[in-house]
Amino acid sequence: MDEKLLLDLKDLVVHYVTDSGTVYAVNGISLKLNQRHSVGLVGETGAGKTTTALAILNLVPEPAGVIKNGTIHVDGNNVLTMSEGELQKIRGKDVSMIFQDPMTALNPVFTVGEQIAESIRIHEKVSDKEAMRRAVEMLEIVGISASRANDYPHQLSGGMKQRVVIAIALACHAKLLIADEPTTALDVTIQAQVLELIRSYREKYDTAMILITHDLGIVAETCDEVAVMYAGNIVEYGTLEDVFNRTKHPYTEGLFNSLPNIIERRSKLTPIPGMVPDPTSLPEGCIFADRCSYATDACRRTAQEDKWLSDTHMVRCSRYQEPNFNVKRKIER
Amino acid sequence: MAGKMKLKNKDSSFWGEVAKEFKKNKGAMIGLVVFSLVIIAAILALFVLDYKTQITKLKLAEALQPASWKHLFGTDQFGRDIFYRILYGAHYSLLIGVCAVTISTVVGSVLGILAGYLGGIIENIIMRIMDILSPIPTVLLAITIAAAFGQSLTSLMIAVGVISVPSFARVARAAVMTVRDQEYIEAAKSQGASELQIIVSHVIPNSLPPIMVQATMRVASAIISASALSFLGLGVPAPNPEWGGMLSEGRNFISTNTNMTFFPGIAIMITVLSVNLIGDGVRDAMDPRLKR
Amino acid sequence: MYRYIIRRILLLIPIIIAVSFVVYFIVDLAPGDEIDAIYGNELSAERKDELREELGYNDPLVVRYARYMGNVLKGDMGTSTFFHKPVMELYFNRFPATLQLAFWGILVALLIAIPLGITAAIHQNTLIDTSSTVLGLWGMSMPSFWFGLMLIILFALKIGWLPPFGNEGWSSIILPALTVGVEQAALLIRTTRSSMLEVIRQDYLRTARAKGVNERRVIYHHALRNALIPIITAAGIHLGVALGGSIVVESVFAWPGVGKLTIDAFYFRDTTLVVGCLILTTAFSSVLMMVVDIIYAFVDPRIKARYTR
Repeated sequence: MDEKLLLDLKDLVVHYVTDSGTVYAVNGISLKLNQRHSVGLVGETGAGKTTTALAILNLVPEPAGVIKNGTIHVDGNNVLTMSEGELQKIRGKDVSMIFQDPMTALNPVFTVGEQIAESIRIHEKVSDKEAMRRAVEMLEIVGISASRANDYPHQLSGGMKQRVVIAIALACHAKLLIADEPTTALDVTIQAQVLELIRSYREKYDTAMILITHDLGIVAETCDEVAVMYAGNIVEYGTLEDVFNRTKHPYTEGLFNSLPNIIERRSKLTPIPGMVPDPTSLPEGCIFADRCSYATDACRRTAQEDKWLSDTHMVRCSRYQEPNFNVKRKIER
Repeated sequence: MAGKMKLKNKDSSFWGEVAKEFKKNKGAMIGLVVFSLVIIAAILALFVLDYKTQITKLKLAEALQPASWKHLFGTDQFGRDIFYRILYGAHYSLLIGVCAVTISTVVGSVLGILAGYLGGIIENIIMRIMDILSPIPTVLLAITIAAAFGQSLTSLMIAVGVISVPSFARVARAAVMTVRDQEYIEAAKSQGASELQIIVSHVIPNSLPPIMVQATMRVASAIISASALSFLGLGVPAPNPEWGGMLSEGRNFISTNTNMTFFPGIAIMITVLSVNLIGDGVRDAMDPRLKR
Repeated sequence: MYRYIIRRILLLIPIIIAVSFVVYFIVDLAPGDEIDAIYGNELSAERKDELREELGYNDPLVVRYARYMGNVLKGDMGTSTFFHKPVMELYFNRFPATLQLAFWGILVALLIAIPLGITAAIHQNTLIDTSSTVLGLWGMSMPSFWFGLMLIILFALKIGWLPPFGNEGWSSIILPALTVGVEQAALLIRTTRSSMLEVIRQDYLRTARAKGVNERRVIYHHALRNALIPIITAAGIHLGVALGGSIVVESVFAWPGVGKLTIDAFYFRDTTLVVGCLILTTAFSSVLMMVVDIIYAFVDPRIKARYTR
C-alpha cells in the first residue's frame, strides 16, 4: 500500500474582499489525498467547499478573492506559487474539475465536440483530427451518441450537458478529479448513471477524487474518506467508518440527525437549530458554538484546534480535550 | 448572531436616494455646473447684449480679425464679435434642446403609456406608426419636416421633437408593461380604483425613471441635430447666431480664419458634453442594479 | 433558414411603402411645387394653374401618391427639375460613393471601438476604463460636422497631407471615413464594453480556464465570440445610421454621394428629387440593417438552430 501522496493542502485561508465587507470563506483547513483515493467534502452551501476546490486549481476569482495563507502541493509542486504557464499545463490534465451547474458551464457558441477536443489539443500533441476523434470517443464513454458531437449545448438536455462537462474533465485522464456537486442539478436516475460513470473511470485510470456534495448518501456510496466543512473550517475528518459510525463533531451529528430516518420512522425531523453564521463576521471562538447543544463558555471564547483522535480521525472541537466527552450518536456494529 | 444590517431610513424617498447617488457622481456634478453656467450665460446674453448693435450690425472695418483682447474670439466676415454671438446663440440650442425634448417626451410618453396600458388595437396602431417612423434616418426626417414647415426656430423644434417620439413611445410602453403586471396594480383595482386613477397614481410615477433617463439623453442629441440642421441651412436663418449656422458661414473662411469654425463647435461640444454627463449621472443614479 | 430570410424581406416591404407615403405627404406640405420650380416666373399664375389642372397636380394627395407609386414600380421616380435627368439615374450614380463611405466609416468605428471596449471591460474601473468612457462621451458630444472641419483644417490645410474635399484618388476617403468612424465609435465603445462585461462573468469562461486554456484565448476566443453577437447587431444599426446620416459628412467634404444629392435637391427646391432620394435612402438603410440582422442569425448558433431544423 505504498500509495503516492497526490494532494497536500495545508493551512489554507481564503478571503473575498468586497465593498460590503470581507467574506472569510476558508479559515485554515488542511487536507491530504493519496492516489486512487477519494474524499467527500461535505457541508452546506457557503461552507467554503467550492472555494477550496478553486484554490486547488488556483482559480479563485482574482479581484475579490485573496489567498491569505497556505500551501497546496499537487504531486509535489505548490500550486499557489506556480507561474501562469505552469498552471495552465496542470489544469485539465493533472487536476480536472467538474462544475456544479451544467446549464452555464458550457460555451453556447461552440459545439460540444469542439469543447472536449480543445482540452485534448491543449495538453496532448495531436492533430486536430485526432483530438476530435478522441473527443467523440469521450462522448461515447459518457453515454452520448457520436452523432451529437456537432450539436451546440442548448440542443442537449441538462443531464447530457453534465455528461459533456464530465467528458471534458476526464478527457486527459486527470490524476486528481474535483467534482463539485456533479449530480445536484440532475434527476435521481441520471444521478446514479453519472456516479457510476465516474466510478468506473476512476477504477480504470487510478484517478483520485474530491467529491463536493451536501448529500451524505452519495458520500457513503462513493468515497473512502470524508471531510465535513462548516463556515470555512473542516470540523471533522476521517475514513467513512470513522465519520459515519464513530461520529465525533456535534455538527456532523446534527447532519446525520437531520436526515429522515426510514428505519426508525420517527415522525419529526430534527434540524440543526439556528442559522449559518454571517461569513463577514465570524465569532472568535468555535464557529458552531451558537448552534451546538454541547457548547460551553470556553468553547465560545477559545479558537479551535485540530485534535487527532486516531491515525485517521480528526475533529476540531475543544470539548474533546476532556477525557470522556463524546457526542450522543453511536452506531453499534 | 446576525451580521450588520443596514436599516433603511424610513424617511428616505426614492427621489431622495436618486439625488444622493447623483451627487456622488463627480462627472455628473461637473456636467451640472457647466450646464448651469451655459444657462446663465444664455440668459445674461439675452438681456445684456443688444441684438441690433452687437450681434448683427455689420462693421466691415473690423472684419476677419483673429482673437484679441478686444474681441475674445475674433470677428467674422462682417466684423461681428464672435464671442458675443456665441453667447447670444446659446439660447437657441438650449431652447431647442429643452422644448423639442419636452414635445417628444410628452407626445411619445403619452402614446407609449396608452399603448402599453390599453393594449389591443390601440397598441398595435401606435406601435406600427412608430415602426414606420423609426427606419427613416434622423437627419432625413428632420430635413423633411423642416422643409415642409419652412426655416424657423419653431419648425426646427418640431422636427427635432418628432425625431425622438418613437424612442420615447417604446421606452414608455416597456415601462408601463412592466408596471402593469405588478401586484400593487391588482391590489389597487381590487380596492375599486378607476382606470384613470390607477394610471395617474401608479402607472405614471413608476414609469417615470426610464423616461427621465431617455429625456436627458435626448436633449444632447437634440442640440446636435438642431445645430446640424442649421449647418445645412435648414434651421434658424442668418443673421441669427445659431452655432450650427455660424459654423456653416465659417466654412467659407476656413483656411484663413479658423476661429470662425473652431469656437462655435467648441461651444456646442461643451454644452452637449455637460448634458451627456448629467444624463449619465441620472441613468446611473436610477439604475436599480447599482443599489446596495 | 430561407423561410426566416423571406419573412424578414416580406416584413420590410409594407414598412417601406408606408415610409414612402409619409415622406411624400410631408414634402407635399411644403409650399411650392414642381410647376413653380420649373417655370418659376416665366409663366403667369393663371397659366401655371392651367398646367396644374392638365398635369394632374390638383388631384387629391392620395391619387397623386398612387400615381407616383405606380410609376415607381415601373422604375420611374420622376425627373429632376434641376438636373433634368431621371431621379433613379442620378441616385444610383451617386449611391456607390455613399455606400463606400458608410462601410469604411463603420470599419474605422469598429477598429476603434472593439479594442477600446474590450480593454475597458477587462480592466473595469481602472484608469483605462474611465478614459475609454470619457473618450466615448467626448465622441458623442462632438458634432461630426465640426470634427470633419477640424480634420480638414489640420490635415488638409495646415499639413497638406490629405485632400480637403471631393473624391479624387484613394486618399480622399480617409478624412470622411475618419469623421463617420469617430462619431459611430463613441456609442459602439459602450456597447462593446457592456457586452464584454456581461460575458466576462459567465461560468463557461471558468470552465475554459479550468481546462488549461491560456488567458488570451479565454478572452479573444471564448469570450469575444459571445460578446460579438450584440456588437454585430449594433454595428448593423450604425451602418444604417451612417448611410442615412451621410448628408452631413458629405456636405462637409463635398463627397459626391446621395446625401449631398439630397441636400442639393433641397436647396434647389427639386421636390421630385428630394422625395426620390429620401425614399430610396430610407429603403436602403433598412435593407442594410436587415442584411446585418440575417448575418447575426448565422453567427449565433442558438438562432441559427431555431431556423434550420
